[in-house]
Amino acid sequence: MIYFVFVVLMGLVVGLMAVASNPAPYFAALGLVFSAVVGCGFLVGYGGSFLSLVLFLIYLGGMLVVFAYSAALAAEPYPESWGSWSVFLYILVYLFGFLLVGYYCYGWWYDFYWMSLDVFGEMSVLSGDVSGVPMVYSSGGFLLLVTGWVLLLALFVVLEITRGLSRGALRAV
Amino acid sequence: MSPYVTMILISSLGLGTTITFTSSSWLMAWMGLEINTLAITPLMVKQHHPRATEATTKYFLTQATASGLLLFATLNNAWMTGEWNTMELSNNLSAPMITMALALKMGVAPMHFWLPEVLQGLPLLTGLILSTWQKLAPFTLLYMTSHELNTTTMTILGLTSTIIGGLGGLNQTQLRKVLAYSSIAHLGWMVIIIQYSKTLALLNLLLYITMTSTAFLTLMTLSATKINTLSTKWAKTPIATMTAMLALLALGGLPPLTGFMPKWLILQELTKQNLPALATLMALSALLSLFFYLRLCHTMTLTISPNTNNNMITWRKKPGQKALPLAMLSIMTLMALPTTPTMMAIMN
Repeated sequence: MIYFVFVVLMGLVVGLMAVASNPAPYFAALGLVFSAVVGCGFLVGYGGSFLSLVLFLIYLGGMLVVFAYSAALAAEPYPESWGSWSVFLYILVYLFGFLLVGYYCYGWWYDFYWMSLDVFGEMSVLSGDVSGVPMVYSSGGFLLLVTGWVLLLALFVVLEITRGLSRGALRAV
Repeated sequence: MSPYVTMILISSLGLGTTITFTSSSWLMAWMGLEINTLAITPLMVKQHHPRATEATTKYFLTQATASGLLLFATLNNAWMTGEWNTMELSNNLSAPMITMALALKMGVAPMHFWLPEVLQGLPLLTGLILSTWQKLAPFTLLYMTSHELNTTTMTILGLTSTIIGGLGGLNQTQLRKVLAYSSIAHLGWMVIIIQYSKTLALLNLLLYITMTSTAFLTLMTLSATKINTLSTKWAKTPIATMTAMLALLALGGLPPLTGFMPKWLILQELTKQNLPALATLMALSALLSLFFYLRLCHTMTLTISPNTNNNMITWRKKPGQKALPLAMLSIMTLMALPTTPTMMAIMN
C-alpha cells in the first residue's frame, strides 16, 4: 500500500513537471490528465474513494473537455515537447528543484501527519470523505447560497466576456 | 452591457469584499477574493478592444496566481497546525507565502509589475474601482494577520514599494500609469506601518482611497488621459483644474492638505519605534512621488500651454454629469487635515 502511494506521488511529480515544461497545450493537457488520474489514485490510497470518484468525474470530465476545445483552437503544426533540447533544460531545472526540496524535507517534514479517511470503515455509516458532502447542505447553509450565487455569476461573467452570439471569444480581433 | 448584468457584477463585487471582511476562516476569505476577481473581469473588458482584453487577461492571471498561492499557504497551515482561523496564523511556512500572495494581490513592490499595464488598458472608472475597492479585501487580510508576519519582509516590501513607486512614476506621460505608481507608493507606506500601528495603516488606506478617487474623478470630468491633453483642460473647467492641482499635491503629502496626515503620523510612529533611518528613507522616497505630482500640476494649472484653444470656458456643467461625488471627495481631500485627532479616535 505504501509502495502504491509512493508510485502515485512520483507519477504526480512527473505529471506536473510535464504540465509546467511543455510549451504546447497538447502535451501540457496530457500531463494534466495524467496528474489528475494519479491524484485520484492517491486519494484512493488514503481511503477517500468517493472523493476520488467525484474528482475524476468533475475535474477530468468537465474541465478537460474545455481544455480540449481550447487546445484545438490554439493548434500548432509542430508542437514542441519533451523531445527538444530547450524543453529538456526546463525539465532539468524542475528536477533539480524537486531534488533540492526532497533532500531537505525527506523523512521528517510532517510525513506522519497523513491520516486515512476511512479509519472506522467497517464500523461506521459515513467515512471521512463522504460526510463532507452533506455538511455543505446542513451546517454550511450560507456557504451553499454563496456557492450557488457564484456559479450564476460565473455564467454571466463568461457570457459577458465572450459576448455569445456576435463574437464568441476573448480575442478581440 | 445590460443593466441587469452590470447590477449583478457590482453587487457581486460588494459581496466578495463583504465576505472577506466578515470571514474568520481562510476558506471564506479566499472565496471573497475570488468572487471579487471574477466579478470585475467583465467590467474591465466591457469595451472589448484589444488593449482592454490584454489588461483583463493580465489582471486575471496575476490575481488567480495570488489567490492560488494564498489557498496553498492556508491549506499548508491547516494541514500542519489544524487551524483555519485567520487571526491564528502561526509562524511557519505559510506566513511568508501569505505575505507574498497579498502583496501580489494589491500590487506592492516587488510584485507590482502588472499594475501600470493593467491600469493603462482600462477606462478611468474601472481603473478607479480597481485602485480603490479591490485594495480593501486584501488589505483586510493583511490587517488581520500582520502581527504574525515577518518584520523584515514587511519592511523590505514597504520601502521597496515607496522607492519603486517614486522612481517608476518619474518617466510616465500616461496619467493612468502615473496613478498606478502613485498607488504602489501609497501601498508601501501602508505596508510599512501596519506592523507597528494597524490604525495608522487603515487611516492611510481610507485617505488614499479618498485622494485617488478625487484624482480619477477629476480626470474623468476633464476626460484627460495623457499629460499632453491635460495641458489644455484648464479651459474646460477651471475650477476642476484648480482643485485637481491641490488634490495632486495632497497625494504628494504636502501640508496643509489631507495627504499630510498619514505621512506625518506614520513618520512619527516610526520615530517612536526607534527607526529614524527608515523614516528618513521613506520621507526621501516620498519626494520622488512629489516630483511627478508637481509635474502634473505644472502642466495642468500653473502654466498655460501655447496652443490655441478650441473651446470656450464652460459656464454650466454638462447635463448628466455627476458633480456631487467629486465635490465631496475634493473637500475631504483638501480640508480634512484639522480633523486628525477625530480620525485617530475613530480608527482606534
